[in-house]
Amino acid sequence: MLAVEAHDLAKTFHSGWLGRRHTTALQGASLAVPRGAIFGLLGPNGAGKTTLLSILATLLLPDRGYARILGLDVVTDAMAVRQRLNMASGNASFVWSLRPAEVLTFYGRLYGLGGRALALRVDALIDLCELREHRRTEYNELSTGLKQRLALAKALLNDPEVLFLDEPTLGLDPDVSIRLREQVARLRRERGTTIILTTHYMREADLLCDEIAFIKGGRILAQAPPDVLKRQIRIGEVIALRLDPAAPAGLAELPGVLEVRLRGPELDCTVDVAEKRLPELLRWLHDQGVVIRDCQVREPELEEVFVELAR
Amino acid sequence: MSSPAEVAPPLPLPPPLDEIERGGGTWLHAEVVKTWAFAHRNIIMARRNVFFVFELTFWPGVAMLSHGLLTRFLDLTPQMTAFILVGTVALSAVQVCQLDVAYAVLFDIWSKSMKHQFLTPIGIRHLAVGAWVVGVGRGIIVWGLMAVIGTWAFAFDFLGAGVASVAVFLLGCFLTSLMVGLLVCTLVLLFGTRAESSAWASVNLIMMFAGIYYPVSILPAWAATVSAAIPLTYFLDAFRVGYGFPSQFGYPILTGLALSVVYVALAHWALAAAITRARRTGLLLKLSE
Repeated sequence: MLAVEAHDLAKTFHSGWLGRRHTTALQGASLAVPRGAIFGLLGPNGAGKTTLLSILATLLLPDRGYARILGLDVVTDAMAVRQRLNMASGNASFVWSLRPAEVLTFYGRLYGLGGRALALRVDALIDLCELREHRRTEYNELSTGLKQRLALAKALLNDPEVLFLDEPTLGLDPDVSIRLREQVARLRRERGTTIILTTHYMREADLLCDEIAFIKGGRILAQAPPDVLKRQIRIGEVIALRLDPAAPAGLAELPGVLEVRLRGPELDCTVDVAEKRLPELLRWLHDQGVVIRDCQVREPELEEVFVELAR
Repeated sequence: MSSPAEVAPPLPLPPPLDEIERGGGTWLHAEVVKTWAFAHRNIIMARRNVFFVFELTFWPGVAMLSHGLLTRFLDLTPQMTAFILVGTVALSAVQVCQLDVAYAVLFDIWSKSMKHQFLTPIGIRHLAVGAWVVGVGRGIIVWGLMAVIGTWAFAFDFLGAGVASVAVFLLGCFLTSLMVGLLVCTLVLLFGTRAESSAWASVNLIMMFAGIYYPVSILPAWAATVSAAIPLTYFLDAFRVGYGFPSQFGYPILTGLALSVVYVALAHWALAAAITRARRTGLLLKLSE
């Protein structure tokens, strides 16, 4: 069963006097996310990621198309959808004078939770997101990392079946980002929560996501598991070499070589098929009198796939 | 004994919610809890921020003293003094109460957290009633404070019209506050932060037409027509009857209550429409950035 299903979603924003300026954010975006998946939504700034997420989270109405969360329409069944999803943003903000436990209690009540059950849940989330020491600190005095942990805690209040994370590690220290990613992975592992994640960090998407959709100009350009995407895009494989002396000129003209990147004695040579080109490359370098100190073949990074698609 | 290198096991996730808990328990329980969320938030904010203390004590106190002194300077009779001070109390009580309703949206505007509220399964009734209940409480405190100052400084008997009249008058003030507060929320969700000032301005405009310090009979015909459409006009009229002034309307309390019910329903509908529009235009998200 699909957790999220979107078909032909379109959204244009109008601004200025009488809405004369138009910004098309989505133009026919479709996607399907199975239950229990961690799904990455990648794209450059202004690609339509947040707009798509906002429509799925019932915060925005689409101009065209439809979307369903757990089989419920996000427009006509919005109230039922809201009970079963939640969202955390990297730039989340809460009422400034409230303390973490008060923020969680307020939003918990909006989901109908109350009494001892809510108190225990808030307490558990305060511990889970390592906010115990900052229980008495008002929101506007929390650091960015603490604010983001609070946003994640808020997003877990209603035990959501579908969780949207919009740039959840934006601006966080690496160690905090790692812990946050661990929590995300646990949620899926232990609860089967479906997670839709937008991020600028390719490594994050590569590590966490079962499937990734690239969005650009309001359209989904590709959707597949990371490994499949890397192969599908056909941007080749990378032969990383350390040479002595540095690579001679003429390397880029060899058959099958797509791109050559030099960093002093180190060289990244992107080829169409590494298995076929590696012996030819090594032979040519040997003929040029170059000593090969190190040689590795690796798959392209997701970032390279992203750059290719974003072109 | 664990070695220093051993990593502490991760903390458990909170227990999963069962189907009943996920839906907020019974319908009534969920309704009460969601409404209480807004009431409790307003109470916390009122306790923690100094400008709320000013709203509750300073401005009403200043209004009562300055208007009372004006009645002394003009050498007004006790009956005319009562006429003026009833208007002063009405303005302060309505102002304080309607601000609480408006805060249900304004707190989120100021802290850019609007989207989180509307991401949850709440209705307008929860935010409106929750915030309004606190507004009613604060309005009663304002009324009490002004009654004490009025009695002590100007020998004005706030219970002179009878306890039942006071209760109906305050009910009229608070219903007007609910209506004005919902209107402010609507304006903010239609025009964004540009409409914030309506939270303070709108009530003064309404009070001007409702005959705050004068009978509406002195207003020009077009303004009197506007007055006739405002519920508070009737509640002020009914309350002043208790101080010996003739009523200008037949059945003022019934008319005021009927108009209030209609306007509260209309204001609820307008706010619902404004939220839907904000979801369509993206304003809901802009107010969270």
